Amino acid sequence: MNYITPCIYAFGASLAFAIVFNIPRNKLLLAALGGMLGQLIYVIFQLLISNDVLPYLMATIAISLYAEVLARLTKSPTTIYLAVALIPLVPGGGIYYTMLYFINGEIDLGISTGIHTLLISGALAVGIIMVSSTVNLVRKVMLKGRSKIGKKLKYGKKT
Amino acid sequence: MTVTQLSHVAMEMGVILLSNGAETYRVEESMHRICIALGAKEAEIFVVPTTIIISVTLEGEVPLTRTRRIHTRQIDLTKVSEINHLSRHICYEPTNYKDLLSEISRIDTIPSYPYYLHVLAFAFISQMFTLFFGGSFIDSCVGFIIGVGIKLQMDTMRRFQVNVFFTHIVGGLIASTVSVIALRLGLTTNMDTIIIGSIMTLVPGLAITNSIRDIIAGDYLSGLAKGVEALLIGAAIAAGVAVPLSLLRPFWGG
Repeated sequence: MNYITPCIYAFGASLAFAIVFNIPRNKLLLAALGGMLGQLIYVIFQLLISNDVLPYLMATIAISLYAEVLARLTKSPTTIYLAVALIPLVPGGGIYYTMLYFINGEIDLGISTGIHTLLISGALAVGIIMVSSTVNLVRKVMLKGRSKIGKKLKYGKKT
Repeated sequence: MTVTQLSHVAMEMGVILLSNGAETYRVEESMHRICIALGAKEAEIFVVPTTIIISVTLEGEVPLTRTRRIHTRQIDLTKVSEINHLSRHICYEPTNYKDLLSEISRIDTIPSYPYYLHVLAFAFISQMFTLFFGGSFIDSCVGFIIGVGIKLQMDTMRRFQVNVFFTHIVGGLIASTVSVIALRLGLTTNMDTIIIGSIMTLVPGLAITNSIRDIIAGDYLSGLAKGVEALLIGAAIAAGVAVPLSLLRPFWGG
């Protein structure tokens, strides 16, 4: 139960964030499910791996995949799923404790917490980059496979 | 379609995309796609978070260049989604100038969620994250009140066009002041949880996502600008939270 309740809270928070970002009405629930999925994967990998940055990477990879797949299925931008699902993983606690240690004069603890927070942010960025680049690569290979039709449909200079 | 009309349509769509929170590459790509689909020979588009520059050439005509400065930015992903859809639609079915303009103005005036829902959403985020970080039910109710306060404060300050960093400093200040008062009144024992939960409402989630996606797409200028914005907002929140925690130290006995 200790592992399930955070997922439900993450779902609620993501749903509210989806409203703040003005996501279309029929995609609200799908976007919020992304936040829940991220938290679920995070909890699972936290139990399996003793490292405390890797679960963030795994969770980000999961939500990025979820966002890319849903964006193709519902024909809408990836951002609307990704931005909402990413927020429960943002290390808000890390920022706060870093600041708290600094104003309490515990510089060593502050620096180590700060670097830990930065590592987590790095894991989030790397997760998004890995999935997004792989998906783009796969799409380009598939477009090339379709040869002439693919070339005609491809108007943009980038993907 | 004349070159003036074409660049006007592309620019209007680009402005809606950029000022409602689309990534830079999406704006550039959509505008380019529209120009080519509407019969331009060449279209060069340059977008940074505050400016759009477009240069269109039609067959046998003088090229036309337009610039637009974006002053206000908000987040409305419904509009981004709709314009994105429209720009793909144009490629398959060419439409005339008037229809396009009326479609664009329809998208531009799509109502967002009602204001009370936004306030409730802010309060709900704050409450949910307080529970998420391990607070009790009463803690989460304090979080709810802080969420309402932060939303009202941010909108008031936005109306006076205060810069985004000061807005977030004051937001953090409200969060930690109310938490210290709640601790002093004996409503709660874990002030940290409430503060962390309520500053999650201020986290620039879209700026983080967009900056990473811009950098992947190769738009380093926009990516870095948004990344720096996200970092500075984070620092502003921490600074805002720190002020009452230091000054009101006698009250919370730290």
